[in-house]
Amino acid sequence: MASNLSNTRTGNVAQRLQKELMDMMLSPSTTLTAFPDDENLTLWTATIEGPTETPYAGLTFKLSMEFAPTYPMTPPVVLFKTPIYHPNIDFSGRICLDILKDKWSAIYNISSVLLSLQSLLGEPNNSSPLNAEAADLWDKDKEEFQRKVLARHKTPEEL
Amino acid sequence: MTTSAMDHSHLIFSALFPVPSLSHTTPTPSATADLGFAQPGEPFEGSFVNNPAGQHRTARRNIAWSTATGFLALPKTTSDSDGGFRVHRPLKTQEVEEALRYLLVGEGKSGDAEGVKQEGLLEWYRDEVRLHFAGAVRPVVTELWEKPVSLQHAWDVLEETQRILQQDQDQCLRPFVEHIAPILTQSSFSSSMTFNANDDSQNGPEALYEQMQRDIHALFAYSIPERRFSQTLGYVLYDAGCNLFRLYIRQGKTSETGASEDTRAIRVRMTNLLQNLARVGLGGDTAQKACAHAMDKLMASFIESHFLKVDWYSKQSIVSQLQTWVENGFAPLVHLAMECLQCDLTDQETSELQQWQDMALGRLGRARVDNLFDFVINWAKSLGGILDIKEYLKLPDAKQYLVTHFSKQISRRLLHPGATTTYILNVYISVIRVFHELEPKGVLLERVARPIRRYLRERSDTARIIISSLLTDINDAQDTKFGPGSELSREIAREMQKPMTNLNQDADEDLNWNDMNWQPLPSDASLDYKKSKMDDVIWFLLTLWDRDDFITEMKTIFGEHLLKCQDPEYEKEIRLLELIKIRLGDDKLQACEVMLRDILDSKRINAAIRTNLTTVPPSTPNNPPPHTPPNFGPKTPQLRQTRSSTKHRTPAPTSVPGAAKPEITLSAQILSSNFWPTLRDDIFKIPTPISELQASYARQFEAIRGMRKLDWIPALGDTSVVLELEDRTVEVNATTFQASIIYAFQAQPGEEWAGSKGKGKSKSKAQGITRNVEQLEEMLQMDEGLVRQGLAFWVGKSVLRESHQDTFAVIENLSTLSSSNADDAAAAQEMAEAQAQAAASTVKSQTDLLKEKKGLYSQFIVGMLTNQGNMPIMKIGMMLKIAVPGGFPYGGEELKGLLGWMIEEGRLADLGGGVYGVRKA
Repeated sequence: MASNLSNTRTGNVAQRLQKELMDMMLSPSTTLTAFPDDENLTLWTATIEGPTETPYAGLTFKLSMEFAPTYPMTPPVVLFKTPIYHPNIDFSGRICLDILKDKWSAIYNISSVLLSLQSLLGEPNNSSPLNAEAADLWDKDKEEFQRKVLARHKTPEEL
Repeated sequence: MTTSAMDHSHLIFSALFPVPSLSHTTPTPSATADLGFAQPGEPFEGSFVNNPAGQHRTARRNIAWSTATGFLALPKTTSDSDGGFRVHRPLKTQEVEEALRYLLVGEGKSGDAEGVKQEGLLEWYRDEVRLHFAGAVRPVVTELWEKPVSLQHAWDVLEETQRILQQDQDQCLRPFVEHIAPILTQSSFSSSMTFNANDDSQNGPEALYEQMQRDIHALFAYSIPERRFSQTLGYVLYDAGCNLFRLYIRQGKTSETGASEDTRAIRVRMTNLLQNLARVGLGGDTAQKACAHAMDKLMASFIESHFLKVDWYSKQSIVSQLQTWVENGFAPLVHLAMECLQCDLTDQETSELQQWQDMALGRLGRARVDNLFDFVINWAKSLGGILDIKEYLKLPDAKQYLVTHFSKQISRRLLHPGATTTYILNVYISVIRVFHELEPKGVLLERVARPIRRYLRERSDTARIIISSLLTDINDAQDTKFGPGSELSREIAREMQKPMTNLNQDADEDLNWNDMNWQPLPSDASLDYKKSKMDDVIWFLLTLWDRDDFITEMKTIFGEHLLKCQDPEYEKEIRLLELIKIRLGDDKLQACEVMLRDILDSKRINAAIRTNLTTVPPSTPNNPPPHTPPNFGPKTPQLRQTRSSTKHRTPAPTSVPGAAKPEITLSAQILSSNFWPTLRDDIFKIPTPISELQASYARQFEAIRGMRKLDWIPALGDTSVVLELEDRTVEVNATTFQASIIYAFQAQPGEEWAGSKGKGKSKSKAQGITRNVEQLEEMLQMDEGLVRQGLAFWVGKSVLRESHQDTFAVIENLSTLSSSNADDAAAAQEMAEAQAQAAASTVKSQTDLLKEKKGLYSQFIVGMLTNQGNMPIMKIGMMLKIAVPGGFPYGGEELKGLLGWMIEEGRLADLGGGVYGVRKA
């Protein structure tokens, strides 16, 4: 890790990402996966399942992840590709999550980011919403919230 | 005005392009008074009316003209069919003499006095000769040449032509010499007056004669088809040369006898012919070219017939002989021919011999290069041929020729799927040796070897063959091991025997000022070419790959070899490792060193532990007591020596636990698992006595090596098995799984099934204990494939037979064996051997690895298809190659198999058209 921190060449990013890929493959999770889009490994697509007992249960979300050459010094740029109705995610898929911004640390990796996002689905941070209506509904009208979630959601095949 | 202008232009025209039909006159009959001629284009009456002063002279000239032309006339038709003709020239009378004199040097020389050009006698005679030739000679010559000349008649045709032309030439020139020239000579002596400037006779009668002759030669030359003539002459010269050099290559015509007279006669005949041809003007450029062609071809034929034989016995170059022949045989002949053709030899005399020798060498060299591949295959014996090529390489362009052609030969004859890798390697080694002889600097070798090296790199078994050949001892290996289909290369093994050379060479030999044999690099070396420091064959083989790739491969094979190796000292292995360390640098070879140390340590520590155990009999593991423990049944596999490989973090010694069965000794090899390649790890139950031994060994080991745990690998290792059957004792060296299988046929106490069948020989003599495949799988917890392999092995040894489908019985008594069983045994043996080959590999093959990594790969595929959507198989393969660390070393077929398996597992769905997707839950 130390060498990765000091060296930001693309080759090392690729190595690091390859290793992360291998780790994810060796301990696969059924609810979150990610895979690079092409040979240069800087663009990935991730898939997460909505956590059970949340409005998102049973839904599948695709995300795009883009890794800068400075990764893991800088966080990846993560966007929801699947339309989602969520207090901390805007309609373009942009995410408001501290670990993807100022709280990023080099010890995070793809799995931990995806895990954080998964838990964000179940526990939105309503104090700093991107989607105020959603934040409001989450607190006040869970049924309406659920309806809006389902209305907005599309399966990957529909995209 | 117009008239004179016309005249003038006409004169210019006719001076350039004489038109015989218009300007030439036939001799006027002497009885007819000729009133003169009008020049073409001139008003007919002009010469009479406008020139009254010349009237008298014209009349006189006409008379003289008539007399002279009548005298000098030549026949215009062939007088007889064979082309011979005689001219019956009238006697030269005084009148003729005067007429000639008048026309040649007198007033009537030419009629230009009045500004009108009249034809001179010389010009008339020239035309006369032309007409005579066209009428009398040409038909004959044309007849000779109008058809292609057959080879048999080439000599005759040429000689006949020459004879006719010679005759004609003589005939035409004689009047000139006899009658015209003397008058001119006289005149030029008697007066200093120059001949008319319009004439080309200003240089005197000799020049006139020469010009006359030139005209005649031109006539001759144009009457004969040039191409055909040159071909015929060329053939004639070639034929003469063949005869002179005793080359009997003409079809059908062999004249071995009386060769010496022949050659002399032929030499004379050729010389005469050439000289005579030169005399009639046919010795010019055409003939010289023909001569050159003939000589060129002659040289080719001679080299073909005399010098293409390689000196297989004394292995000498024949180039010096060839040079001598060129100098003493060929060059004189060429000189002779050239002299006969009256060529100017002076200017190239000095250098031409060298040129001819180079030409001859070039021919020889090219012929040799065309066979270079055969020389390479027969290297050492073919040294003579190679030395010839070495001489040839001194010529310019030779290297290019050699590289191009040899590369072609290689790609056609060597680098195809039909050639085994061993064969290619052997040829490559020969190539290295041959080119080392050809050019010690190695520039050529680098060029020609490039395609071979590229091809060898592509073959998957190359590294294995090289390394296992390096590890083979040529002295104790049987000949069969090096057969054509074998996987071992004798050449490599032999190279290995050679002492290491060149290992302490100077760092840079170009800076070694004391090297008196230093030579610059050949001019075709690339700028950054650097000759390898070590030029022995093994170096070339070891540098086929990138260092790292080779070391990876090397680790695998080396490990496998160490596990199989029987040599107690591991001498060769140590040597090989050192050798490779020198060449590849020792930093990357830690793993190999650790492996070697593991093995050596195991051996030593095995011995150490053995002495610790007092229960162990004094005999070494190699000489165990042959008898069976009494409590074993009649057919007891006795495991004499088990070499089990142990997977563990540290090497540690093991010894024979003697507690239960002191006769059985167990030696272990303790491997440091991190450094070894992936090993086979089929799991199965080993016979109880052995596992007890293992447990006791492990205890010992833990005591010695600070509680390190041993992890047994039952699949590796081998055993000596002694089977005591009713009528015989079978001693076999078997692998552990084979031994376990036959041990399973041991009657098991308390096993009902065995009891009912009858234990041992007492109850059922003919029928031994039977087991079926399923039972064995269950008893041994072994893979079915492995069980079947083991069974086939024992069937092959005539210990088991297949009594029913998948059911095997022990053959207690060979006499009960029917002949068909024997056939079965033979068949099974074959099968077992074939399988043994596959099974013998202690290190996992790619296929095994695919099976093992199936889970990981399928995870990648699922991850890929989940995130990237459905994909065609091609893309899946491509992405796997990119995404999987270490790559995905399999092709489409394997991938298809993998995907098929995943579909069976219910994880994927085949969406048709080669597109796959994740199956939705």
